Amino acid sequence: QRFRFCGDLDCPDWVLAEISTLAKISSVKLKLICAQVLRDLLGEAIEYDKILKLTSDAKLESGDVKATIAVLGFILSSAAKHNVDSESLSSELQQLGLPKEHASGLCRSYEEKQSPLQDRFRACSLRMSQLGSVHWRVDYTLSSSELQEVNEPVVHLTFNVQDSEGEKMTAVPVTLSANKFRVLLAELKQAHSLMNTLL
Amino acid sequence: LGRLALEQLRRGAAPRACEAAARKLNIGIDTIQHGVEGLVYLLTESSKLMASIYFYSIHVLGFSDELNKSLLQLYLDNRKEIRSILGELVPRLPSYHSLEWRLDVQLASRSLRQQIKPAVTMKLHLNQNEDQTAQVLQTDPATLLHLIQQLEQALGEMKMNHCRRIVRNMK
Repeated sequence: QRFRFCGDLDCPDWVLAEISTLAKISSVKLKLICAQVLRDLLGEAIEYDKILKLTSDAKLESGDVKATIAVLGFILSSAAKHNVDSESLSSELQQLGLPKEHASGLCRSYEEKQSPLQDRFRACSLRMSQLGSVHWRVDYTLSSSELQEVNEPVVHLTFNVQDSEGEKMTAVPVTLSANKFRVLLAELKQAHSLMNTLL
Repeated sequence: LGRLALEQLRRGAAPRACEAAARKLNIGIDTIQHGVEGLVYLLTESSKLMASIYFYSIHVLGFSDELNKSLLQLYLDNRKEIRSILGELVPRLPSYHSLEWRLDVQLASRSLRQQIKPAVTMKLHLNQNEDQTAQVLQTDPATLLHLIQQLEQALGEMKMNHCRRIVRNMK
């Protein structure tokens, strides 16, 4: 059977298996655990002790606690990834056997944080390198060893590029004469207007 | 000394612990180092070979009986752990860690407007002996489909009779 929150594919077996573990926790506590898992997905620190306290009533072993966090993380991130609205998510989770209150609590937490999750995933998507900043300077060359009177303007550009790992910033210096710079600017303006037609 | 040898196996040499032991026993630190290394060698060699004739082989070394018995005990107690540590020391090829991917469409370039050129960009994260490397690859959808087909064929080999026979025999 195909599920939208799994990207129109079958639900993974391990998720099916852990739904019964989720049902052991009370629905109120499940909503609080969801909030913690959402924090982790959004890049903030997860408070594992709080989760341990919340699951201690259901008498879950440590392996089950980790499985709970994993399955909630999968459900929430997968639903955000495939842009599933919270009612569809709720009905699909109930089809998998999650009790109604649990499903609705989970989906309410999901609904609040759906846009921030999607924004975060968009920011984390694969990127090659990224332009950090551009610095420029215009000089006027008066004279050089080749020719006594040069009298030409010159543009110095420094592109600060962050590599694909996101760690190092490399500076790429470029020097252009006025004509070359005009060509570069014209081409970039054309590309920019093409981008605007798509937005 | 036996304890020091095990710690060395687990984490590499610990010079400070050796110093403490040397001071307690009033022997030079070099002797202790050599003693520990010798014990490590003895333990790893015997674990490697699962020596059941262990007792007879160390008899050759001419230690006292008591020493032999304690060495044997040390060996038997920690054999499993030593074997698992030795198992992890094999050189490894880079192994899969994760794959990031992205689907782009090129619409225009400086030379040609009004194009439609889809491309899949992938970043393959690999693990090799705790080093993480990343490889960036780019392909068009047709090549990607071919790649998927080849990989599925490779997985399908596992279900063929030849593979099944070998797997059954290994178990």
